[in-house]
Amino acid sequence: MTTTVVLPEVPSLGGLYARGAGLSLARRVRSGPSVLPDVDYVVRGVRSDASRLTEYQHLLGEPASDVLPAGFVHVLAFPVATALMVRSDFPLPLVGLVHLANRVTQLRPVLLDDELDVRASATDLRAHRSGTQVDLVTEVSIDGSVAWRGVSTYLARGVFLAGAVEESSETFDPPTPTGRWKLDGDVGRRYAAVSGDRNPIHLSALSAKAFGFPRTIAHGMYTASRALADVGAGRGDAFEWAVEFVKPVLLPGTVTVRIAHDGDGYTFAGWDSRSGKPHLTGSVTPLR
Amino acid sequence: MAQPTPTPEVRQAYVLGGNRIPFARAGGPYVRASNQDMLIAAIDGLVARFGLQGERIGEVAAGAVLKHSKDFNLTREAVLGSALSAETPAYDVQQACATGLETVVSLSNKIRLGQLESAIAGGVDSTSDAPIAVSNRLRRALLDLSRAKTTGQKLAAIAQIRPKDLAPVAPNTGEPRTHLSMGEHQALTTAQWEITQAAQDEVALASHQRLAAAYDSGFFDDLVTPFRGLTRDANLRPDSSLEKLAKLKPAFGLGLDTTATMTAGNSTPLSDGASTVLLGSADWAAAHDLVPLASIVDAEAGAVDFVHGDDGLLMAPAFAVPRLLARNGLALADFDYIEIHEAFAATVLTTLAAWESEEFGRTRLGLDGAFGTVDRDRLNVHGSSLAAGHPFAATGGRIVATISKELHRRKAASGSDAPVRALVSVCAAGGLGLTAILEAA
Repeated sequence: MTTTVVLPEVPSLGGLYARGAGLSLARRVRSGPSVLPDVDYVVRGVRSDASRLTEYQHLLGEPASDVLPAGFVHVLAFPVATALMVRSDFPLPLVGLVHLANRVTQLRPVLLDDELDVRASATDLRAHRSGTQVDLVTEVSIDGSVAWRGVSTYLARGVFLAGAVEESSETFDPPTPTGRWKLDGDVGRRYAAVSGDRNPIHLSALSAKAFGFPRTIAHGMYTASRALADVGAGRGDAFEWAVEFVKPVLLPGTVTVRIAHDGDGYTFAGWDSRSGKPHLTGSVTPLR
Repeated sequence: MAQPTPTPEVRQAYVLGGNRIPFARAGGPYVRASNQDMLIAAIDGLVARFGLQGERIGEVAAGAVLKHSKDFNLTREAVLGSALSAETPAYDVQQACATGLETVVSLSNKIRLGQLESAIAGGVDSTSDAPIAVSNRLRRALLDLSRAKTTGQKLAAIAQIRPKDLAPVAPNTGEPRTHLSMGEHQALTTAQWEITQAAQDEVALASHQRLAAAYDSGFFDDLVTPFRGLTRDANLRPDSSLEKLAKLKPAFGLGLDTTATMTAGNSTPLSDGASTVLLGSADWAAAHDLVPLASIVDAEAGAVDFVHGDDGLLMAPAFAVPRLLARNGLALADFDYIEIHEAFAATVLTTLAAWESEEFGRTRLGLDGAFGTVDRDRLNVHGSSLAAGHPFAATGGRIVATISKELHRRKAASGSDAPVRALVSVCAAGGLGLTAILEAA
């Protein structure tokens, strides 16, 4: 039976990373992942802060309305899932986890004044060609009904499960661009300030180097949320927003983008115009 | 019981004349002239030409695209600095590069409704005296500081400031939502419609040759007042040639997988300048012994979703013109003159290509086939922005004054009652476009 752990408030990611770093060292000596803890983490009565919301909206290019952008709900709720990931029985090390993909279903608007209940769980531990991946599922409810659901897929490199691996064979052919993101060197620090996600790989070249990156890298959710902002009001009140992160964006950097109508919704892609290699691809599909 | 207010009769609004200062290249002879200086110079030239000293004009509307925050009342301040009566009201308009044409359209509508008897439309822009802003972060810190009451709050406000926040922010032609420059956007559209550099260079050369011929024949003698030593538009290159233009290196579209075709020679340069147009009712014109040149018949604005890749940034007129003509029961062939603002030579050519395309006509315009073909002999007959330069908000006034004079001249020379018409089309940032029909009076 699933255990429910109720936390008094949304934990700070900084503390969780520190804890995760310690556990990751300890976990390295273990042979490999086995099973996910059968546990839900819950925080009730989460409120958003108007000035933090405004800062977020301005940084991402969203109008500062009282509707929480789907990416802002993610930054409010995701630390609850992170708390689960630093449990001693969580099989993968937090530090070094790679955010592979993210899928959000926004069922109805979440407003500034709404009191939110957050429930997080981990599911679908499975093999990946470079290691092991897992889905962190976060649900945000208002008055008992789910308004927002996020599935964040993470990869632990070099941690192998037994079993077959699906090989990805998709190639990327750069489309006609519709725009460009010119990202300053401090974008990681600025997104960290509004999201609370102060993972050292986003904060300085020195701390990024310590984790094997040549320079600071942009938060994946920053790029995905900018694409969502570029889609704009056409996404409607209810939509699905899916993204795959292919290659990190080094900062400072320039990402060439296409955010375009595609059928009933939108598809987006961000790539390096010199190499033609993609950074992210995704879609925003209105739910009607 | 009170009678309902009767709907006002719509009457004609006429272009009675125009005046501009020669357009300069950025950093040229107008480098220290402000928008207000240049707008006053253009208004005062108009006042001198038409004997309007001390006259109370119904309303003056003008604008600038690059505008200092101190110029919140730019047009009114220019009126106060001009020879017009200080009792002349004024207002500012800003619709990117369509600003000048929009002042003509909105003022002529007020005249048509009887709200005004006379009006002056105008526009001005200086890329030499462009506003420089402080960064958002510095501005926010300074505003917090001005609101701070305690020493602690003041220190906290100052502590927000980082050295890099002190760097000034200059305006650019980048689209706020896509961060691509106007030239980069046009390059995408140019590639989509497969427009060659040679075709663009031909448009540029014709623009220079026609503008030079118009100056040589004295056409602009009563439309342009010298300023700061300039008597002709500084960008005009009468001796340009296809060979010289072909040698220029591409400036836009370098990152695309198609050949880059847009050069400094077939793109408009950053410019400084101002223009004005005198508008009035038939009665006001008669009372002032002025001959109406052309009436402003109708106008249509358009916009495209360039943000999501539907259409090119500067393609809105390709949609607005078919709507405008349908409403007036006209086809392209019914126009003696077609003025398409040359933001880039390619902008003109992609617009023409869209109108000539069967597929575009069917799928995007909802027509049975292609919208139509423009006779090149009727297109930008006295040259356009590629030769004259393009001080953003001043371009509409330049086009309207030039083509109104030409319409009147043609009608007078024809000695017939057959209508002589011009179509004016201006593309603008933000995916905007504004188009209008003028008819010789």
